[in-house]
Amino acid sequence: MTTTLTLFLLVSLLLISIGLAGLVTRRTLVGMLISVELMLNGAGLAIVAAAKCTPASEVHGQLAALFVMGLAAAEATLVLAMILVVQRRFGKVTLDEVSIIRSSPAKGPH
Amino acid sequence: MDQAIEKVLAIIWSPFNALEALIAEYLPGQEVAALIAYGVYVLIILAGGFMAIGSRNLVRAMLGLVLTFLGVAGLYMLLASPFLAFMQVLIYVGAVCVLIFFAIMLTRNTNEGEESKLPGIGSAIYGLFAFVLPLLVLGPLIVLNVPKLATVQYEETQTKLLGQGLMTDDVFSFELISIILLVAMAGAVFLAWRRRPSDSEASR
Repeated sequence: MTTTLTLFLLVSLLLISIGLAGLVTRRTLVGMLISVELMLNGAGLAIVAAAKCTPASEVHGQLAALFVMGLAAAEATLVLAMILVVQRRFGKVTLDEVSIIRSSPAKGPH
Repeated sequence: MDQAIEKVLAIIWSPFNALEALIAEYLPGQEVAALIAYGVYVLIILAGGFMAIGSRNLVRAMLGLVLTFLGVAGLYMLLASPFLAFMQVLIYVGAVCVLIFFAIMLTRNTNEGEESKLPGIGSAIYGLFAFVLPLLVLGPLIVLNVPKLATVQYEETQTKLLGQGLMTDDVFSFELISIILLVAMAGAVFLAWRRRPSDSEASR
């Protein structure tokens, strides 16, 4: 016996696992950003479905999903700036190249 | 004048009304139509999701992401939350995807970038684990436990109530998210600021 909530939660679970797989397999920061957005979308869908299909307050659930969207926008902005900095400093945005945390790389492009 | 507009609108809407009547005639009850819409949206989401994580071209991956966002917006409509569906299209498709497109273009990572190579075998195995493990762990949990507490209510959520909630109960989180957005914006500007060499020499 399945209910509506189960169906929606399964979709959000699928979104989250797809995003996780992308996060693991992608090589560049931009691809990982795309995967993270997928996962955040799944989280929002789960929140809204759970608030709508249970006796919980639906207004609170939808507002929480709105906050998730706002956080996703803020996160995308910051990640874009970080990608710019990494690109400027290393010339690449692949994760294998970008593994130095030291403040000034020994022979950086600068 | 208004009557003319109404007539035009009626003509535009008539195929949709006919389709609705057809569905109502052949499918008893709304449930089946809702299930079909759900299936279509899930197909869109899955296709977009796999395109987003599997495409070797990052612009195509972003297009898959747009597809997924639109499918999720459709699911919000099915959940009788139209405001969230519009916000989904506005914020995700309108803002986040443009940002991602900027990121792709600014790193010149389109066709012959690093993503054009297939992932290594180890990375592919990790990816498979990352895909299967949440499904195996959380999927049975959802299927077994959820029906006990779920009751369906299918009234449309009033946008007015959402606005009232933002101004009364959730006003603190509303302020918090505005501060977070402001800080993120300022941080992004600060990070991406390119100091000219002449400026830094002048300040020393």
